Parts: sequence; structure tokens; C-alpha cells
Amino acid sequence: MSEPVVTERDLAEMAEQVWVSYLDPEGVNPLVPHGDVKQLSEVHSTVSITGSWHGHLVYASSQNAARRAAAAFLAMEPDEVAQEDISDVLGELANIVGGNVKAMLPAGCFLSLPTVVLAPDTASYYPAAERISGLYGIWDGEPVSISMWQSVKQEASA
Amino acid sequence: MKILIADDSRVMRQIVTRTLRQAGFGDHDLVEAADGKQAVDMAVAEKPDLVISDWNMPEMTGIEVLRQLRAAGNNVKFGFVTSECTPEMQQAAEAAGSAFFIVKPFTAERFDEVFSPILG
Repeated sequence: MSEPVVTERDLAEMAEQVWVSYLDPEGVNPLVPHGDVKQLSEVHSTVSITGSWHGHLVYASSQNAARRAAAAFLAMEPDEVAQEDISDVLGELANIVGGNVKAMLPAGCFLSLPTVVLAPDTASYYPAAERISGLYGIWDGEPVSISMWQSVKQEASA
Repeated sequence: MKILIADDSRVMRQIVTRTLRQAGFGDHDLVEAADGKQAVDMAVAEKPDLVISDWNMPEMTGIEVLRQLRAAGNNVKFGFVTSECTPEMQQAAEAAGSAFFIVKPFTAERFDEVFSPILG
């Protein structure tokens, strides 16, 4: 099987940029990959990509990791963060990684606005799409994942 | 100077504000728009000196905002802060009259590099 258009290594590089910029500017608490695709998730966000490539980018984590991400983005304490902020940050995380992913895809792709679901990523079903790569890891003791899903009808629709 | 920050994410508007402050541009008058249409309305009503806009927003995208402003004869200095960074988007932005293109995630150093010549 050929290498996916966006690999786990690519996702890890993008995640590193996000962590260095917003979630771990001191460089003391990186996302540590472990590759366990079955790890727990409690919330997730998705951006869809259409055009010359069809699929989805999914950011998923525990509720605690989402709250800590929102706190880091807002420079607040985790217990000061509102649910609205958590949703906003989850959407923005998918948007940032999705935008960077888009730059690796063939020209002529379009990125949707993010969809945030405060439920495990298994709650979202992506009909006619399969996971092609994923970064699964632990951040500050909490599970975080970023995965790429590609339409299985890609060739038929291209 | 007055700066209009247009982004549908309230958190990202706060981060842009914070990063401007970290880069040494905290003394400017900041106003915010939460979608593309509001960005056009506020660019007209508030007469900012600079617009920092997201690309992908509800109602109108950032490039549509820029094109509408230019079509109406508004030549406010305008640029993008966006996660999307394909060459065709950068070319479209430049062709529409964009002054800069900052890719998310960004740093205070990047803001300093881009905004020092504009904001002094």
C-alpha cells in the first residue's frame, strides 16, 4: 500500500507547531505519541476537505485535555474556562491543523468551517471514508488524537 | 492607529490581540468582527487603519471581504491571519490587494516582522 497523502509524521510536525505556539510554549509538556488508536476520546472537532481531495481531519481528546487546551489558548486557569471557549478552541485546533494539511494536498481543495461535537469521536460516522493516518498520544496525562479520513470514492469522484 | 481583527473564533481574536501586545503593539485601538459581513460593516463604520482578517469565516470569507472593500473604493491596509496557506490562496490574496499573509500557528516574532513596517 502506498504512503498516505498526509502521514502520521506530517501530522506530528503540525501538532508540534501548534504545541510550541499555543499549548506548550515553554516546551515542557509536548504531545507524546504512543500509537494507540483505541484510546479514549470524549470530545472532537472536524473540518471537511472537498475539491481535488475528499475527506476529513478529526481532532479528538478527553474533556480535560480540551479544557486545558482552552485554558492555554486563553492564558487562563482550566477551571475558569467556559464550555463555549472549549468548543471554540476545539474548532480552532481542527481548523489550524486542517489548514496546514490542505497545503499538502493537491491544489484546488476547499476547507469547511469546523464542526465541534462534545461526544467521543466514535459518535461521528464518516460514511464512505476510511482513516488513512493518525497521530495518537498523551498530553499532560490526557489523550489527544489527530486523524485523517479519506473518501473511499476518491477515484470515482476525482 | 485603529486595528480591526476579523475572526469567527473569539479565542483566536483574543490570541491575535495577545500576540499583538507581546510583539509590542499593545497601545493601538482594537475593534473586533465575528464574521465576514460584520468585517465589511465595521471596516466602513469604524474606518480602521489596518484590518487583520481570518480567511475562512461564516457569511463572507476574508478574501470576499477584501474584494468587496476594494470594489467600493476602500483602500484600508488589509491582510490575512489564517491556517490556510496554499500558494494559490496567497496569490489570490496578493492579487486582491492584501498586504500580508500570516499562517496559523503564529508567533510574536512573526507578528513583529510583519507589523513593524506597518505599525512602526
